[in-house]
Amino acid sequence: MSFPGQRYLGPRPNTLIIAVCVLVALPVVLTRPVWTDSAVVLGVYALLGLSVGISYGQAGILTMSQGAFAAIGGYAAAILTTRFGWPPYADLLVAMALPAALAYGVARLVTRLSPLATALATLALGSVIEILIRNADALTGGYIGLAGIPSVGAINTPAGYACLAWGMIVVTVFLYENLMCSAYGRALNVLRVDQARARADGIDVPALMSAGFAVSAAVAGAAGWLYAHYISFLSPESLDTHISISALLMAVIGGAGYILGPIVGTLLFDGLTRLMPAAELQGFFYGAALIIILLAARTGILGLLAGLARRLRRPDATPAPRAANLSPQESLP
Amino acid sequence: MSRGLTATGIEVAFGGVHALRGVDVAVEPGKVAGLIGRNGSGKTTLFNCITGFVRPTAGRTTVDGVDVTSLPPDRVVKHGIARTFQTPRVDPRATVLSAVLCGFYSRVGASFVGSLLGVPGAWREEQRLHRRAEPILERLGLAELRGREVGQLSMGLIRLVEVARCLASGARFVLLDEPAAGLTAAEQERLAEQVRAVAASGVGVLIVEHNIGLVRSLCDTATALETGRVLCAGTPEAVVRDERVMRSYLGAIGDLAATEAAA
Repeated sequence: MSFPGQRYLGPRPNTLIIAVCVLVALPVVLTRPVWTDSAVVLGVYALLGLSVGISYGQAGILTMSQGAFAAIGGYAAAILTTRFGWPPYADLLVAMALPAALAYGVARLVTRLSPLATALATLALGSVIEILIRNADALTGGYIGLAGIPSVGAINTPAGYACLAWGMIVVTVFLYENLMCSAYGRALNVLRVDQARARADGIDVPALMSAGFAVSAAVAGAAGWLYAHYISFLSPESLDTHISISALLMAVIGGAGYILGPIVGTLLFDGLTRLMPAAELQGFFYGAALIIILLAARTGILGLLAGLARRLRRPDATPAPRAANLSPQESLP
Repeated sequence: MSRGLTATGIEVAFGGVHALRGVDVAVEPGKVAGLIGRNGSGKTTLFNCITGFVRPTAGRTTVDGVDVTSLPPDRVVKHGIARTFQTPRVDPRATVLSAVLCGFYSRVGASFVGSLLGVPGAWREEQRLHRRAEPILERLGLAELRGREVGQLSMGLIRLVEVARCLASGARFVLLDEPAAGLTAAEQERLAEQVRAVAASGVGVLIVEHNIGLVRSLCDTATALETGRVLCAGTPEAVVRDERVMRSYLGAIGDLAATEAAA
């Protein structure tokens, strides 16, 4: 017999899994310099993937501006530390708050549109930010970019950054899981499936979607902050739309609706393609993986595994009908 | 002002089509009001209008004297009006418990940022919601099913879950859109029992129903609609026996005697 609240009081399973995996894997990874460097870059991508998970997997906003949000975070860090002499911890707050505020404002304007139009709006937003960065020479260094971004305090080795990156991921997963185990997380799930239902529950749909998008942008901003301090150089090409699309693909492949899905996607595919000899073939592997996932497992790798686990537990159970079958379009304006 | 949910002179037009033309309906706390009428007579439009999904072109909706006309749906819920949908809109993968927990949204005390950070207040709030869901599940006989996925339940049970979700919002008035459609006789009886119990606890119920037997046994008052107008209102017995209602509505499915025999 379960008691009320058991699930909430129980340990956060996703946080526990990622924390244990990081603690086990990091000591091994840190023994090889190449792996250590990859761990930092993958960490940045995984954070971006998580930001896509929050936006697309939960709030239902197919986002193509995460790279731009990361660029804002990165440039905020670069400008504040190199031009204004801020200490490299204090700038993290700005690097997260700035994209979050922008994302919230933009989402309030565009989420009343259809999902596809909203997706295109995020793509346009990303392009606008990129153009602004290129043209604001005085502040961003324009095409040349900004160099000499200081390292984060005492953390100045790749090993230190690898620990920082994956520490940030554990914290992000913890916060993400907190949110999903709360009334707001449930509400996000409802509005992604059925907005009319969400409104009938008393959910202010545009406000909550925008809040989710803001959280997602804040995580992307943190990824940009980490990238800027690690690489110590930032140019308009560093975090562009190409990165936004990659992050989206990784999240979808791993399972955007699952908290750890984007991390699985990032590790599996970006990790694997790094091991491949020819960098030019990366696009081929990404495309092939995406097609296979969309054909065979719409909910990503974790969705596929969850489906298998469910079937093993109850071999006789027929798959639950899809939401669409239960709620055919009742015309609600 | 008077207690209760009242909609007066409600008019709704979609382009040139007048879906509702001056409809009055009232629900008192603790009472069950029935709404009958053929398909297309405007029952669901009236529901959409009261709950803010559709803006009326004229008319007023008040709850205990407070004007809620033209408020968006999420604000209407905060004034204590909750609804179900004719076709249940549920996530089949959600558990019964989490579906009911969704109903609490409009009165969650924890903030978004607090929930994100997992502050102790947010943890306590979540436990409180789980505790408050229990009596609602018990009341509707769903306690044993709390861990089941909604998609695996019968239509009757899904509709009960929807009622539970309404009650979780703290609604003083619930609007049930054809809750008995597609239910077996036993399920209908169980639903009627639960609706009576809900009303007995002081909640006003407005119910769209086609089953005349159920309307007569369940409702305290009834209103018949036809092509967007009130045809007749009063006690269920009087409305059901009204000649115009019989012609407009019962004529389609046979005479009253046949209906009584069926019920």
